[in-house]
Amino acid sequence: MFSLSQRFQQTSNHAVSFAIWAAVFVIATFCAQLYHDNVFNLASSISNVQPHINLRSSRYYGSTNGKPKENVKIAFDLEADLTPAFNWNTKQVFVYLTATYKGTRNKEVINEVTFWDKIITDPKDAVLNVHNAKSKYSIWDLEEKLAEREFQFKLHWNIQPWIGNLVYGETTGMTTATMTDSEKKSKPSSKKNAGI
Amino acid sequence: MNLRFELTRFLNLCFALSSAFTFWKGLSIVTGSHSPIVVVLSGSMEPAFQRGDILFLWNRNEHNRVGDVVVYEVDGKQVPIVHRVLRTHTEIQGKTSSPGRQLLLTKGDNNAGNDIPLYAKKRTYLQKDRDIVGTVLGYVPRLGYVTIWISENRYAKAALMGAIALSALLSNE
Repeated sequence: MFSLSQRFQQTSNHAVSFAIWAAVFVIATFCAQLYHDNVFNLASSISNVQPHINLRSSRYYGSTNGKPKENVKIAFDLEADLTPAFNWNTKQVFVYLTATYKGTRNKEVINEVTFWDKIITDPKDAVLNVHNAKSKYSIWDLEEKLAEREFQFKLHWNIQPWIGNLVYGETTGMTTATMTDSEKKSKPSSKKNAGI
Repeated sequence: MNLRFELTRFLNLCFALSSAFTFWKGLSIVTGSHSPIVVVLSGSMEPAFQRGDILFLWNRNEHNRVGDVVVYEVDGKQVPIVHRVLRTHTEIQGKTSSPGRQLLLTKGDNNAGNDIPLYAKKRTYLQKDRDIVGTVLGYVPRLGYVTIWISENRYAKAALMGAIALSALLSNE
């Protein structure tokens, strides 16, 4: 009575319904545990932000049609404890320091940029205590100038699970800084690379 | 040979094929993305995603946030790319009903630099409404490796075809 295709259909039906229930179970328990560990309300502190402005004229630093663009790099202090983000389903935590700021020519534009990020795969490395660290990325804008704009810094996290849904959130720490060049005279020669 | 029996079998086959097609297109309408499930092909997002992981996408969000993992397509290139959003420049538009334009810069977690060298000629940003296929919601590890294996290994392809042909022959009663 049973043909091969019928058997195949039956097994695949079972497999699909099992997969759906397993997915629901994993997502529900994962999210419940994250709420229980209060991950969506983690404390952090971002301080001592020191901007450094440079003019760059490469396409890979935002320059278009040969017009140079202002690039901002920062040095900063950062403290946060992301240990609660690690549980049975956490494969890695991606932490990233972003800044949001408004456009000046077009006030209706909101910009958000990443200055620094880090991949944490081991809960032993989940306590961040960084002093005078340099930003990983050099930031430019759609407009030519970035000087004198007010940046609002925040630390975000993204949990990558072993299986299931990606979870995003931000820590409570926040700081604002105006992009004024902090050290005009000391240039690349005095490179100190503390932190991390 | 029973003609009625043969026709029923043919009809069943058509039904199976069309239901699979309906499922795929339905999913595509619900998620707003032309390919709602993709398989990772490169290691540029390691350790988050490896080759062969299956990703589920959603494309009904108006704007992306920094940190989102997105899948995008570049004009003139066949393979979609899975990378993380590094910067967003968003127009908030209050007057018209359409969402404001958004420009995105992306980067692979495992790459040293950003994606500008990957973009189409002369472009330094992606455009949310034009280039983005979807935002990654969740994933299943490794399962998609079967499709990579089948499409890149000609023996595997032949074996699959053989198995299908054999099952069609054997299920004759």
